[in-house]
Amino acid sequence: MPLHLTVNDEDRVSVRDPLTPLVDVLRDEFFLTGAKIVCREGFCGACTVWVDGRPVVSCLLPVGLAVDCKIHTVESLSTNGDLSVLQKAFEDHDAVQCGMCFPGMLMTLTSFLDREPRATREEIKAALVGNVCRCTGYERIVDAAFSLASAG
Amino acid sequence: MLHAVLLRAEVPSARLLAVDVSRACKMPGVRAIVTAADAPGLHGIGIADQPLFAVDLIRYVGEPIAAVAADTLEQAEAAVAAITTEIDLLPTAISMADALAPEAHLVHPDWRNYEVLFEGAAHAGNIAWEATVVRGDTGAAFSRADVTVVESNFRVGRQNHLSFEPRVAIASYEDGRFHIETSTQVPWTIRNVTARILGIPASHVRVTVPAVGGAFGLKFDCALEPFAALLARASGRPVRLANSRQEEMFTCLCRENAEIKLRSAVTKEGEIVGREAVVLMDCGAYGGEQIFLTTMTAHTLGGNYRLGSVRISSRAIYTNTAPNGAFRACNGVYNTFALERHTDEICAAIGMDQFEFRRRNVLGDKDIGSTGQVFEGDVLRPMLDRMADLRSARPSKKGTAGRRLYGRATTVGTWFIFVGPSAATVNLNTDGSATLVTAGVEIGSGSMMQALPQIVANTLGLHPEQVIVRTADTDGSGFDLGVGGGRTTVSLGAASQSASEEVRKKLLSVAGEMLQTAPERLVLAGGRVEIAGAKGSGTTIAKVVERAQQLLGPLSGSGSFTRPGVPAMAGCARGHFIDAIDIPVFAVHECEVAVDPETGHVEVLGYTVVQDVGHAINPRAVFGQIQGGVVQGLGYALHEEITIDADGRMRQEGLETYRVPLAQDVVPVEISLHEGAPSIGPLGTKGAGEVPILNVAATIACAVSNATGRPVCEIPLTPPRVLELILGKNTQLTFPHISPFWEENVLTSQPSGKRDVAG
Amino acid sequence: MNSLHVATSVADAIAALADRGDGGAPLAGATWIMRAPIRKEQHPRSYVALAKIDELQRVELLHDYLSIGACVTHARLAAALAPLPEFRALAVAAGSSANPAIRQMATIGGNLCAAGFAAADLVPALICLDAQIELAMPGESTRVSVEAFLTMRTDLPHGCLVRRVMVPRTTYRSDHVRLTLRKGGDYPVVIVSLAAELGSTGVVKSARVAIGSVETTARRWEKFERLLIGHPLDPADVTEKATLCADELHGREGVEAPGWYRIKVLPSLVGRAVRNIRGQC
Ligand code: FES
Ligand code: FES
Repeated sequence: MPLHLTVNDEDRVSVRDPLTPLVDVLRDEFFLTGAKIVCREGFCGACTVWVDGRPVVSCLLPVGLAVDCKIHTVESLSTNGDLSVLQKAFEDHDAVQCGMCFPGMLMTLTSFLDREPRATREEIKAALVGNVCRCTGYERIVDAAFSLASAG
Repeated sequence: MLHAVLLRAEVPSARLLAVDVSRACKMPGVRAIVTAADAPGLHGIGIADQPLFAVDLIRYVGEPIAAVAADTLEQAEAAVAAITTEIDLLPTAISMADALAPEAHLVHPDWRNYEVLFEGAAHAGNIAWEATVVRGDTGAAFSRADVTVVESNFRVGRQNHLSFEPRVAIASYEDGRFHIETSTQVPWTIRNVTARILGIPASHVRVTVPAVGGAFGLKFDCALEPFAALLARASGRPVRLANSRQEEMFTCLCRENAEIKLRSAVTKEGEIVGREAVVLMDCGAYGGEQIFLTTMTAHTLGGNYRLGSVRISSRAIYTNTAPNGAFRACNGVYNTFALERHTDEICAAIGMDQFEFRRRNVLGDKDIGSTGQVFEGDVLRPMLDRMADLRSARPSKKGTAGRRLYGRATTVGTWFIFVGPSAATVNLNTDGSATLVTAGVEIGSGSMMQALPQIVANTLGLHPEQVIVRTADTDGSGFDLGVGGGRTTVSLGAASQSASEEVRKKLLSVAGEMLQTAPERLVLAGGRVEIAGAKGSGTTIAKVVERAQQLLGPLSGSGSFTRPGVPAMAGCARGHFIDAIDIPVFAVHECEVAVDPETGHVEVLGYTVVQDVGHAINPRAVFGQIQGGVVQGLGYALHEEITIDADGRMRQEGLETYRVPLAQDVVPVEISLHEGAPSIGPLGTKGAGEVPILNVAATIACAVSNATGRPVCEIPLTPPRVLELILGKNTQLTFPHISPFWEENVLTSQPSGKRDVAG
Repeated sequence: MNSLHVATSVADAIAALADRGDGGAPLAGATWIMRAPIRKEQHPRSYVALAKIDELQRVELLHDYLSIGACVTHARLAAALAPLPEFRALAVAAGSSANPAIRQMATIGGNLCAAGFAAADLVPALICLDAQIELAMPGESTRVSVEAFLTMRTDLPHGCLVRRVMVPRTTYRSDHVRLTLRKGGDYPVVIVSLAAELGSTGVVKSARVAIGSVETTARRWEKFERLLIGHPLDPADVTEKATLCADELHGREGVEAPGWYRIKVLPSLVGRAVRNIRGQC
């Protein structure tokens, strides 16, 4: 049975088995390769997307449970080629190394800063407890996010 | 495109009697199955000991037995499950102690018949390779009446790179040539090793590499590429093969586990008159990079300090475990840990301050290293002084430790730039942009995409954004040793610079004609050629290129580079790939920690790095590398543990149990760059990306020892291990398989036939 | 049969599960079940998804108890409990387990049912708060204590599912302390959930203590509870008492920590829980 999804405000149809992890549908069927597969166990956060506005790990969400939900991926963050403020802040802070963790970092932190626009560095770090970065040692990612929090 | 899956061994040691793929071949969607019969060649570094697929013997859990390509991944998986094997279990050698025990199971019963690719080292039985250093008379030093003898044992586990992108390759076969697109640091190695394994001319393999999602040394060796190539040829279609995270966990070419015995004879004044060391490196089932890395002990464990006399035995040991590989500052991190902890034990034994001891003994100008090479310039001592200045300029973090135990430590480290051959071509285009063509790969460090364009742009008077870096393609660029070992900026940088200089020369000569001025009087800057001292007098580079193209044809230049070769003392080093290091790099690290006596948790309160960078082309990028490298080191020192059970299986199968540092576990590293130390790199640079991890484990271990008053002899310092240490429950490290007599730990000095090591 | 049936009501779910028999299983937040392949476990032929059943999404504060639908996620539970200090242990557990993304997905029902998961945070918290579980089955529903549920959860009859969790309202003070090996982000190696009723003089009138992750299944620690009665909650004193009682526990050997470690650090965690509770006074 085809599954009807709303991805980045577009109606999409998946023909995969409903137990297929959402991330595989996004990447292989819809070619939205922003969300990355690193662990498939919910520990790295590289596959984070928003489902009904809430950041979740798409490796552990069966696509069958995402039916009728609004899904947003990292591809939705920039509009008409303009980077989001957080994307811009990452660039300004020269935060990116291999880049694999960044789609997840963006989805987690964009949503976190929406809820906590005045977050401290410690709160930002705590919010990243499910997002691993193997390259950067985190501090610049935190600096970039904090620059928005303190800029208000 | 087809999807491929490997059938991997489930046992660590067995005779492989039969592999039956007949049922799997008939499964839906299956397009090709290949096994050992399709790839009979052996490959390796220094010694050709590794087949692509297990042939007659299974030597580790995870060893490939067959590969299947099918229309979908699920079909390939189903077919793999349908392959049957017949095996006879054999005894195992899981640990190095097993492998070196009398009557040990031989991982390679045929070791005598292997082709030796690099002559000069001893090897026998489970000792895959042995590199030794002998300089001066340690016997005499240890028997001096005025010395204190300090002896220590250390042990470290493996570290997984956990690069976020796994190893993955896509191969196709057309018109008799292979095209392999892969995630690697070493396109030319992939080309040559794949050809060797497939038994075809290397020119029949083309390797291209898109941006790589993290590597850290993991991708410094050929991995999945030959499987994908074989399947592409057998099926006639493109084939994709990727490791799952679990496969990456149990077949990662980890930083090797190692065991280290150190003995030093030291005078009351703190002079090290003699040092003896035995380092056992677990290479796993095949020699791989560890064969080469035995070389590094001479320069890492044998580095840092002036030694009156020294003997080192550095051995790679075969075990029935997954092969290990290269990981950022390979070999250096644990040898520095051992050396620095041993140094603190020396300080305790002779009653000297830890910092003072280091200031007195670190290598300085014209001092000789363990293999007798002469070091140039005073680097470590001024770096230590800088560290002392930084320390006194800010308050101690002791207050934040609260009721926990507080400790601080300062360590030194010696590393090097892995130079070797690189080639580059620079094309200057009529739109004023330049293309840089090399076989270098961007692995996330910024060396390829930031440092190299800067070097080219500097020479040609362009903006770095005007330099386009061609992604690696072995058909399009000259040979390169690979991206790693801190060599990108130095070797590729030097080649790129010399290519740019050739272009510059041509450019200036045409510009000279156009502007009626001697080329020496011209300046290139901001995309323009100007007459010196007369801004606005010249023209744009684009115009000159256009003119040059009419006169000479398109403007291009090529450059190449290789290691200059620094001499060692004759006869000191044996079995080494590098007797002396071309570009030494030094690091001084300091940290403050708090240790919770109730739970054993170590919190890093502050971390400071003084790093020798020669000249920092792009300091911001260097800072990023230092922060990232230190944090990987914190993982190694504190969290990341791999244990192997009696069945040769790694117990940590994913990110749940293999714990890497998270944002809350790290601190911003305070960084000071030491510039001006001698370097043959372009603009005096040294690679900066590899060395930041070098002394992190050493520094943390020394600080935890200082905090708890207990000797740290093993890492990682996970809470259970630290609590054990605090409670005095840990058993003292002893190595029954390492003789207390140094000469019994070398093959070369034994009268032949007297003792047959491990069979 | 489809691998996933998305149930629309509890009755539908019960019927679908009964229908599937051995070949079916309920699916709530999916975070544990989706990792079955990594644990080398087979999926059953078909799952019955409970996540879209409205009734199971409700959190209601009633006169005598708090009612939590089985599919309430950790994140929603934490948000709902934020203004209710009487359920402190549960609020801390719901707000600190795993990581934020998992807390958005993982549910209270799933946490209770994941029999292979020794480090579940909500389980000891619910034990110390004396929660009851309402099970729905074809034609009936029944209530059991959390401890009783833990002994029966691997062989529930077909068509049986957790409908809701009921946490009694009391004047107990409670707290939940968890020890992770990093600052956070990994499963705790030891969990202590402690609830105590204090008399006007600060003396313990009654107490419930549960420990998680130490043994393969979370448990109540009655021997230790008894030693608390009649004494003030003093961190040093309770730490000592916990040390005395700890030898009856069997520390679980795990990849991440050995059994002895869990036992050894437990008393100081109990001390921390008590310190936190005193801080609430
Ligand atoms: S891939 Fe989903 S959390 Fe790691
Ligand atoms: S930049 Fe490589 S994982 Fe974060």
